[in-house]
Amino acid sequence: MELNAQIAVTVLMGVFLVAVATFLTRIENWRSYTPVGGGGSFIEESGYIDEEKPAGIIRWLTTVDHKDIGILYGLYGIIAFAVGGLMVTLMRFDLVTSSSLLGTSTYNALLTSHGITMLFLFGTPIIAAFANYLVPLIIGADDMAFPRINAIAFWLLPPAALLIWAGFFAKPLGLFGPAQTAWTMYTPLSLGAVGPSADAVGGAGVDLMLLGLHLSGVAATMGAINFIATIFTHRGEEVSWANLDIFSWTILTQSGLILFAFPLLGSALLMLLADRNFGTAFFLTDGGNILWQHLFWFFGHPEVYILVLPMMGIVSYVLPRFAGRKLFGFKFVVYSTLAIGVLSFGVWAHHMFATGIDPRVRASFMAVSMAIAIPSAVKTFNWITTLWNGRVRLTTPMLFCIGFISNFIIGGVTGVFLASIPIDLVLHDTYYVVGHFHYVVMGAIAFAGFAGIYYWFPLVTNRMYQASLGKAHFWLTMVGSNITFLAMILLGYGGMPRRYATYLPQFATLHQVATLGAFLLLIGQIIWLYNMVSSWFEGKRVESGDPWDLRQDNVRTVEWQWFEQKLDTQIATDGGDEEVATDGGKPADEAEAVAEERDDD
Amino acid sequence: MSTETEDGHDDHHLPAVEDWPRGFGEASWWPFVTALGAAGIYIGVALWIIGDAISPLLGPAAVAGSVGLFLVGIYGWLYHAFITKFWSRDTTEHGHASLRWGMIAFLGSELATFGAIFSYYFYFRAGAEWTLPSTTPDLISSLILANTAILIASSFTLHWAHVALRDGDRTNFLRGMGLTILFAVVFLGGQALEYFEFIGEYGFTWTQGVYSSAFFGLTGLHGLHVGLGAAILGIVFVRALYGQYSAERHLSVSTASMYWHFVDAVWIFLVVVLYVGAGQA
Repeated sequence: MELNAQIAVTVLMGVFLVAVATFLTRIENWRSYTPVGGGGSFIEESGYIDEEKPAGIIRWLTTVDHKDIGILYGLYGIIAFAVGGLMVTLMRFDLVTSSSLLGTSTYNALLTSHGITMLFLFGTPIIAAFANYLVPLIIGADDMAFPRINAIAFWLLPPAALLIWAGFFAKPLGLFGPAQTAWTMYTPLSLGAVGPSADAVGGAGVDLMLLGLHLSGVAATMGAINFIATIFTHRGEEVSWANLDIFSWTILTQSGLILFAFPLLGSALLMLLADRNFGTAFFLTDGGNILWQHLFWFFGHPEVYILVLPMMGIVSYVLPRFAGRKLFGFKFVVYSTLAIGVLSFGVWAHHMFATGIDPRVRASFMAVSMAIAIPSAVKTFNWITTLWNGRVRLTTPMLFCIGFISNFIIGGVTGVFLASIPIDLVLHDTYYVVGHFHYVVMGAIAFAGFAGIYYWFPLVTNRMYQASLGKAHFWLTMVGSNITFLAMILLGYGGMPRRYATYLPQFATLHQVATLGAFLLLIGQIIWLYNMVSSWFEGKRVESGDPWDLRQDNVRTVEWQWFEQKLDTQIATDGGDEEVATDGGKPADEAEAVAEERDDD
Repeated sequence: MSTETEDGHDDHHLPAVEDWPRGFGEASWWPFVTALGAAGIYIGVALWIIGDAISPLLGPAAVAGSVGLFLVGIYGWLYHAFITKFWSRDTTEHGHASLRWGMIAFLGSELATFGAIFSYYFYFRAGAEWTLPSTTPDLISSLILANTAILIASSFTLHWAHVALRDGDRTNFLRGMGLTILFAVVFLGGQALEYFEFIGEYGFTWTQGVYSSAFFGLTGLHGLHVGLGAAILGIVFVRALYGQYSAERHLSVSTASMYWHFVDAVWIFLVVVLYVGAGQA
């Protein structure tokens, strides 16, 4: 009887899902730029193509267009950012009092998932969003080298997120809890104590997280292969290595890092999974714990540069637009990118100074960790010099670029201190480290992401965001970040150990200050989300192909040339809002302007 | 196969000569279907791990179904992109270079995949307390020497086949390909036999500490790669039997060869460090 009821419900659900799918396919284009080139019709040229894309949800499920996939990556990254952000809001709420309000195991689960979500599900995908949308446009390719691999690399990510978060869904069902291993998954903690499905750090939740991480790594690797092939072989005729733009350089370097970092993590994850489930002894013996840390950080430190290099690329690309000058020392910014790329594989053991590894090994890693500050400083001085005597316009993207530099200096300098063995031994297990890396990942990486989102918002949506909300977002984020993370640095100096849900009463004030900063951040991000959503649907339409007035300083970049053309052809074919109609052809002087603009960068 | 697009680029190369759904330039179900299959395999493994909390059969069933879906996706993908209209579709230097670079980058990522387990092994092998489990069989047997010789020979037969194709000698191309695949299958059989003897007769399994974990981890990962390589060469062979490839059109023979030679090189390195270098008295 019960079985019959189940079957009936299943069939009903199936019918319902089919109905929903049918409904969705009938909705007309959700986004409305009709992809038709200016000039002649394309239908005559090929019997195979009727249209570029199907309508409705099918368009998004089947798309192989780099711009659509870029938008999908962007939405995915933003959802993950929201999830990870809400997780940390709960954690900061938990830390208002010295005893844990949510319970220590919930806190540990949130700590683990916040880190994993922000690094793997927000950081890497949001960069892929920018890179997918922009790199082919900037280098003059008609799409990625492998458009369909591009699509599958994205579609592996949603199931990866579900696996990583599975414990949170399964806990209410009484199945298993979320992982509580911290994002570093250090053994022996992550090996579990009493068998695979009933251990203290999450049981099957850990296994599912490992599977999800592996899947997301496969996706990231496929994306990296695609970017390498695209930048190597799909550059337009006028784009040489000498005038390749800075953003593509950073994406190329980042893809190289992904190529060697993520598969290595993948193997290490599978070894851990085998230890947990099949009785292998990869990390069970003496020395196995240190080995896990070696393998993890051999991935983990390059991962930091995987996230920060493209964001530095965005700052290097956007900041000169509003300084009215070319990027100062372009060549050296490229060289420093490559130098960081190489050095990033030689610094991993600075995460392990306190583990008792051989002092000679420590010393050499200290030297390389200090050395990697040099190319980073080269970039910083180049950005500052670009601003020097420039015609600085404090638009929202520019504010975020400047905020990036400011926060990156604090994050970077605190990092130089941590690279020094004696200081690290004192501060390693304190909030100082948490403050340091949040200055980089939130203060720098997320800031550059916001700069990019604001700067290219008109390019993607044809509309302008609301400037005053953008400014409010910047100031709340800037002030909130600095309150939160400076408080963490001070907590660290005071000796507050990291990763704990509870603390001694003397740390209460600074913890409450950090929580206050976190709430400012939350308010800022809510404003941002509102701004993005409302502006996407109802923002002021951009009429000009140069919404940032870059031409007056002669710093317009090539993607806005593409945008101008898009506006023209849209008018010609849509005939919708605008009454102006052009022939959609490409004026000859515009074409020359593109070539000149390329030389500038 | 070129259209003018919103980008204003002439010569917009479509991802495939045909596609499903038909009639669109920038739409394909294949990546989505393949992704569903691939993700389903992971979800199936997850269900299998939590099998004691739910039904124990659900996981294996999900894995089996997902593998099927994955293969359907890959088949449709490759069929539309490479196999159909083989002789009439455009081949540009552009496309060739990107497929070659794609394979080179993929092999780079493979280096890291193997690198993790090799590093693991070296880390302990170089340590002071290196011991082999008491159950360790004689590692260097006639079986492993024969298997190694067969795999090395397969690289030569593959190269020979490729040279024959470029000289327009179709018969020898087919012979070489067939022989290479035969060698791959024999190698896999040899490896299965070795596992069977090690586990069944000597009681040497993956649960006996560092060396046994490294042994089964590395040979198992390599075996998976040989299996995948054999599948790739098999696809090339079947296409060749249907008359595809010529002295001018042989890109997938080149990329499949790159992969196969890489797997072969990894094996030579593996035998040297894991069998010969295990420190067995």
